[in-house]
This record gives sequence, structure tokens and C-alpha cells, in this order.
Amino acid sequence: MLSYNFKYELKILLRSRWIQLLSIVLLLLFGFSALNGKQKVEKRKKDITAAHDEVKENDAMMLKLLDSVERGMEVSASRWTIPTSPMAVGNYHPRVAAMEPQPMAFMATGQADLFTHYVKPKVTGDDVALNFTEMTSPVQLLFGSFDLAFVIVYLLPLLIIAFSYNVLSSEKESGSLRLLAAQPIGIRTWVLQKLGLRFFWLSILVVGSLIVVFLVLDLNPFAQFNLFLGLLGLILVYMLFWFALAFLVNLWTGSSSKNAVALIGVWVLFVLLVPSVLNQLGNTLYPMPSRTLMINEMRSLKAEATKKQDEILDNFLRDHPEYAINDTTQFRGFYHRYMASQKIIKEELSPLVNSYEEQLQKQQEWIGLFKWISPAIITQESLNQMAGTSTGDYENFRNQVVDFAGTWREHFMPFLYNNTVFSQADYPNLPSFQFKPKTHSSSQAIPILFLVSLGLFGLGFVVSKGIKKGGILETN
Amino acid sequence: MILKTFQKETKELLRDGRVRISVIIVLLLLGVAVWISAKQYQNINEQYEAAKIAERAIWDNQGEKNPHSAAHYGTYAFKPKYPLSLVDQGVDKFAGTSIFLEAHKRNEAQFSAAADQTGLARFGDLTPDFILLFIIPLLIILLGYNSFTKEREMGTLTLLKSQGISNWKWLLGKWLALFFPIFCLTALLFLIAGILLGNLNDFGVFNSSSLLMMFVVYVGYYIIFINIVLLISARTKKSGISLVVSLCVWIIACLAAPKAASNIAETKHPYPTRQEFAANVLKDKKEGLDGHNPWSKEAKLLEEEVLKKYGVDSLHQLPFNFDGYRMQKGEEHEAEVYFKHYNYLKNQYTQQADVYQSLAAISPYLPTRFLSMAIAHTDYATHWDFADAAEEYRIATQKFLNDNFAENSEYGNWGYRADASFWKSLPTFDYDPPELGSILSRNTSNLGILGLWLATSFGLLLFTTKTV
Repeated sequence: MLSYNFKYELKILLRSRWIQLLSIVLLLLFGFSALNGKQKVEKRKKDITAAHDEVKENDAMMLKLLDSVERGMEVSASRWTIPTSPMAVGNYHPRVAAMEPQPMAFMATGQADLFTHYVKPKVTGDDVALNFTEMTSPVQLLFGSFDLAFVIVYLLPLLIIAFSYNVLSSEKESGSLRLLAAQPIGIRTWVLQKLGLRFFWLSILVVGSLIVVFLVLDLNPFAQFNLFLGLLGLILVYMLFWFALAFLVNLWTGSSSKNAVALIGVWVLFVLLVPSVLNQLGNTLYPMPSRTLMINEMRSLKAEATKKQDEILDNFLRDHPEYAINDTTQFRGFYHRYMASQKIIKEELSPLVNSYEEQLQKQQEWIGLFKWISPAIITQESLNQMAGTSTGDYENFRNQVVDFAGTWREHFMPFLYNNTVFSQADYPNLPSFQFKPKTHSSSQAIPILFLVSLGLFGLGFVVSKGIKKGGILETN
Repeated sequence: MILKTFQKETKELLRDGRVRISVIIVLLLLGVAVWISAKQYQNINEQYEAAKIAERAIWDNQGEKNPHSAAHYGTYAFKPKYPLSLVDQGVDKFAGTSIFLEAHKRNEAQFSAAADQTGLARFGDLTPDFILLFIIPLLIILLGYNSFTKEREMGTLTLLKSQGISNWKWLLGKWLALFFPIFCLTALLFLIAGILLGNLNDFGVFNSSSLLMMFVVYVGYYIIFINIVLLISARTKKSGISLVVSLCVWIIACLAAPKAASNIAETKHPYPTRQEFAANVLKDKKEGLDGHNPWSKEAKLLEEEVLKKYGVDSLHQLPFNFDGYRMQKGEEHEAEVYFKHYNYLKNQYTQQADVYQSLAAISPYLPTRFLSMAIAHTDYATHWDFADAAEEYRIATQKFLNDNFAENSEYGNWGYRADASFWKSLPTFDYDPPELGSILSRNTSNLGILGLWLATSFGLLLFTTKTV
């Protein structure tokens, strides 16, 4: 019976031009979205390279200036930008702290349009003032990006729904169900076979068109073979989940349009409503402290610190004698006081600043717990993690940059408090930033989604046994 | 006959369990969404008031200080939330809420809410605009997809034709039956919003004509959807197919087109990165006068010019402190540089907006979204407006401080301190968003596109149903 079904199904799909239509639609959707992703990643790479080049150029100029000064020549730069002053190097010649894209970054925009991919921390200024958001039009952020993840999470289920909502009901409506009922096959097995075959063909089309698109766009899928396999696995189990739902709804045998309405309702629930309600609840349960009030707090601390800056500097040098170990001049200028005050302000602000990361962490954990309600969230999250564009990835980058900003600052402290000048010989010792991508624990998304789908199929068998006693042939 | 059709269709809708359940769900969602937004609005505005007062106190109490030190010390401009954000949150979540106003630098608004949220925030929020823009069109599809196809499927079409009813009357009856519940639902929501807003303590810039205009825009949007759904229903043979086609239209208009538009707009007219922008500004700044640098070529030129103008031969003989004067001139140059670069950004956005408008040809969602945000003061243009006002205030503040420095001290006296009471005389920053009239005239093209959609969809509907 399976082989009959197989042949018949293929014929019907080809004759109704479903397969042809789906291949074109899939190729177009995957093609457009992958192209968008690729362009974004290329721009990101180009921006980072340009930033590095700029630093190189500036460094060459700095070394030239240093050379001139060391040889006792007159230089035309403003007094406070001459790089013999360690603070000038720290402020006007910052390093690039960049987050290079991961190999699969083109797949999911995730938070990539919201956050910047490189910053240049200076010795002055606060860590909180480091702006990690990118300069984008908010309209763009509001609408989001047409990326592969959008096609997979939002549109693929809709294609599946359009592909399978009337498997059984159309037979009933066209009257061929009576003929089928005379065949030696259980109705559930028959629906399962039919949907299984559709799943099979759709999988082939999806995998095929993905490979074609990747090859055409020169995004070699086999270079990162493990990641690519992971992607395919994820897409397939996500599809399986929607087919399982379609199976359940089909067995319930309303009219075709009732089925479609039910499936669309489930889609709206899983893809639109559950994520937004979860997000809203997360925000309500673990509200972010107000940023405007944080500014107030920071300002009052600063006002306080400026008033007592001499005292702060004395205490600071008492606590950190190592900074001024070779100082013979005992000269104390603006920067000596400023850096000492900054340190105090930073320490006092840190509980407040950390509270943001903590709340975000808590929201994240909360969502981690409840994301299993909606396979759309799981899939989107897994895709973002594969692409290295999830919230966690950017948090990781932020923390690394703040650490680096600390290292950069610390590097110049001995220079400042010893009143030593920065020389050409010190140049090679400048710290540089190396981004370490976050390693995500291997995703449980695939096995869990797989089990859930199997469970749904099982449920279909068990439940329909009870209901269908009356017989599916009876008209409603 | 129109009335009879209307009555029959309405009765049928009322009897249908699906319809009852979905209307109840939509109402429930709306209730929750309005409640959440109202709470958020109050919360944020309380914080805004507190922050504004605290920041002003910090500024007023800075004690004796050199005016230019005070300029570097700076102050903050905070962006309030506007009453109609209760209905449409727009881009508020993605735009910064506070701008640091300091000497020599125009800063961008910082701390957008989205940056402090998890990735889930990108799926969207449960807000009234989400329901108004996405869910109600879906409800229209649900109510109307089988309006004509059912007559075919049940075989009542022939009976109907034998009644001698003219097609347009029949159509109008069906149209009204679909329009009426949607109209009631929307009217109810806007009525509740109006009552809620009317009861808020600080009325703000809320006026009822804005709310009414918004209502009109949404009703127009729903009429377009009703027309499309009925058109599809009249042209297809089976209810199932009609439903799937209508859903495709919904997906393309509400989900796919905006995202595609945003991608196309970005590739065609990209923004510079934050660092690039800063580097470009710095480059232009270097080419002009730097208020802090008396040795540069530009500073020497300015010196000569001023000396000549006042007919004296040394800066000490000037009736004001030249340091303060130069500082102000430098400030003016820098302001010009920022003006140029921010104008470039605006220009890029104007071109992006054109892309959005051209894609509005396949999506009535786009003009509605932009109009609704604009009326609610939660669109990008209002954000620009606020940022520009803050910049104007910053420039005025710098002049206020530099003038005090120049007038009250003599050349070379960097030790000058302004009185502790001086800071209080700086005017406060007040920003009023644009009025409804100017918003509408700014959005005439969006209004036009929406009107075009209305006219075309009505025309097509009348034209095609002649031959059902």
C-alpha cells in the first residue's frame, strides 16, 4: 500500500504543480534571504577591516610624531595630542575591539542590527558610556530583517500548512473518501503515510534549494559541515513538528477551511503570541531598572567626586603605591585626579551597572525555562546561536570589551602616576583585543523537538481511536 | 435588500462558534495589551519627571565654576512618552531616551529599551498596535473568506440569482455585514483609549482630534482588507482556496513586505557605523577652528580679524575675554559640522523612506504603520525632531555659557568662576512635539497611498463582482 500511495502522491503533487511551485517559492525565499544575510556580513567585515586600517594609519602617524619629538624636533600637533603623553595615546590612539562574524552569521540577523560590532575604548570616559548600539534607523529595527531565520521560523510553517491542511478533508469533500474507506488500510495509517510522503518531498525540496542557494551565493555549505548538518537537522525537526500538528488537525476532519483556520490559529499562537507574551512577562517579572534614573545616580556620584577630588587622589595613591613607584617629580595634574576619581566612581556605580546584566540574565533564564512552550522560539534561538548573533553572544562581546577597556586603562596608569613619557619603545607593548566567540552548549533543541513531534503523532493515534468510532464517513 | 442581506450575514456570523471565540480572544488580547501599555506609560513618565527634576537640581547646584567647565560638565535632555503611545508604541523601543548635552559635541540619544531586552523582544510586543495592525486584519479574513464561496458551496447562489437582486446591492449587504463588527470593535478600542487618556493626570499633548484621525486611518486600513478579502472570496471557487489566498496576501502585506523593504532600504542607502560617523565628524572638525587651541592657523586668523574689527593691537585691550569669544566661535564651527553630518543621516533616511513608500504598492500595512506612528508621536520623524530641539538647546546653552565667560573676565583669565547662582538663570529645556496639522502635511504621501489603495480596492471589488 505504501508504494501505491507513494506513486499516487508523487503524481498528484506533480500534476497539481505543487512541487514545481514550492521549488520556485523556496528558491526565491531562500535566495533573497541568504543574499540579504550575505550582504550584511560582508558590510560587517568591511567595516571592521576599515577600522583596523584606520588604526594602522594613525599608529604610523603617531610613531612618526614620537620619532620627531624624541629627536627634539618641533611638531605642529596640538600640545595635548602629542603621544609622548600616555593619556594622549590612551585617548587618541585607541585599539579596535571588534567582534568578527561567525561562519554562519548570514543565517540569522538576531541582534546584529541592534548592536555594533566594534568599539574603541579610551582611557577616559565611563564604561557605561560605551555605546554598544549601532547607528541604525529604528524603523529598520522595528520591521526586522528578511533573513533565513525569518523564512524558516515564520514562513516555512505556513508553507507546510498550505501544503497539508486538506489532506483528508479534500478527499471527503470530493467524495473519494468512500472509495478509500473500501481499501484495506486504516485511516490513520493512510493520513500518516500521505503526510509522511509530503514531509519527505518538502524536505528534499528544502534541503535541495538550500544547497543550490548556498552554492550560487558562494556560501560554501561544506566548509562548516557540522554546522550545516546542524542547521538541516534543526529545519527538519521544526518541519516535522508542524507536520505532526497538521496530522492532528487532519484527523479531526473538519472541513478544509476549518482545518486551515485551526492551523493558522496555532501558527499565530506559537509564532506571534507566545513569544510576545513571554517577553512581556519577562519584563514585568524582572523589570530593567530605569536608565534615566541611572544617569541621575551617576551624575550625583560624579558631582560628589569632583568636590573631593584632591582627597580621592591622596587616598588612591596611598592604596596603590605600585602606580607611582618610580615617580620623582611628584607632579599632579588634571589627569591624576581625574583617573583616580573615575576609579572610585566606577567602583561605586558597579552594583547599579551590574544590575542591568543581572536582570537581563534573569530574563534570559526565565525565557530559557518557558521557551519550550513554543518551537518557534527554540528554533529562532538555536539559529541565532549558530549564527553567533544571539543576545548571549553580544553580552559576551560587551563583557570582553569592558575587560579590555580595563586592561587598556591599567596599561597607562603606571605611565601617568610615574610621570613617565610614552616612547617608541613602548609601542609594541600596547595591549590588543582578541575576540573569543562564545561557545554555546550543544543544543538540545533537535532531540526535544523530535520527541515532541513524535509525541504529537502518538497523541493523534490514541485520541482519534476514541473519536472515530462513529466513522469518518458520516457527514457532520 | 441591502438591509436583508446585512441582517442575514450578521445573524450567521453571530451563530458561528468560531467567530464568537475569535472575537472574544481578540477582545481579551486587546484588554491585556491596553492595560500593559497604560501601566508602562505611567511608569516611564514618572521616571521621566523624576529624572528631569533631579538633573536640573544637579545643574543648578554645581557651585562656583568656570562656565566652560560647566559646559563640559553638561546636562541631559530626556525624552518623554506621549499619551497616544498607549495605542501605538511605534519605534519608541528602538530609539534612545536621553541625550547628553555637552560642549563641543552633539551626542546621540542613548539607552534604547530594546538594547536592554532579550532576543525575544524582536518577535514583537503584545501592544495595541500589534493587535490593530496584525490581528484584526486576520480576523477580517476569518470572518469574510467564505462570504461568497459559501453561496457556491451550499448551492444557494442560483437561488439568490433568481431573487432578482442586483449584484451591487448584494455585495453592499455583505460588505456592511463584514464592516459593522470590525467597526464596532475598533470604535470600542478607541473609546476605551480615549477614556483612559482623558483620565490620566497629566494630559500632555493629547488631543482628541489626533485620536480620531488615528481611528479614521485604521478604519481605512480595515476597509482595504475587507475589500481584498471579499474580492478574493468572489473570485475563487472553494472556501479553502479563498482562505489560503487571503492569508498569502496578509503574510506578504504585513510580514514579508516590511522586512524586505527594510533590507532593500538598508542595502541601497546605508547608514555609516557609529565609529565611522564619529571619525568623519572628527575629520571635519579638525579642518576648522578648535576653541581650545589658540595656536592653530584658524585661531590666528580669527585673532587678526577681531583685532582689526575693534581697532586694537592686543587681545588684552578687547572689551571682552577673547578666550570665551574663541570658544564660542569654535562651538559654532563644530555645530555646523554636526549639522552637516546629521543632515546626511536624515538624507539617507529620506531615501530609505522612499523605498518604504514604493513597497507600499504591495502592502497597505506600510502607509498605515507610518501614519499611525506619526500621529502617535512615536515615529522616527518625531525622534529626529526631539534630537534637533535638544541640539538647538545645546547650542543656545553653549552661547549662554561662553558669553558669560567672555563678558565677565579678561583675556587669559582661566581662573574665572561664575557665581553659584548663575546656573539657575539658564532656561529649561522644553520640547513640544509637532501638531496634528503639520504631521499630516508631512505625511501627505502616506495618506495619498492609503487613499489610492482604498479607491483601487473598491473599484476592483465593484468591477469584478459584476460577474459573480
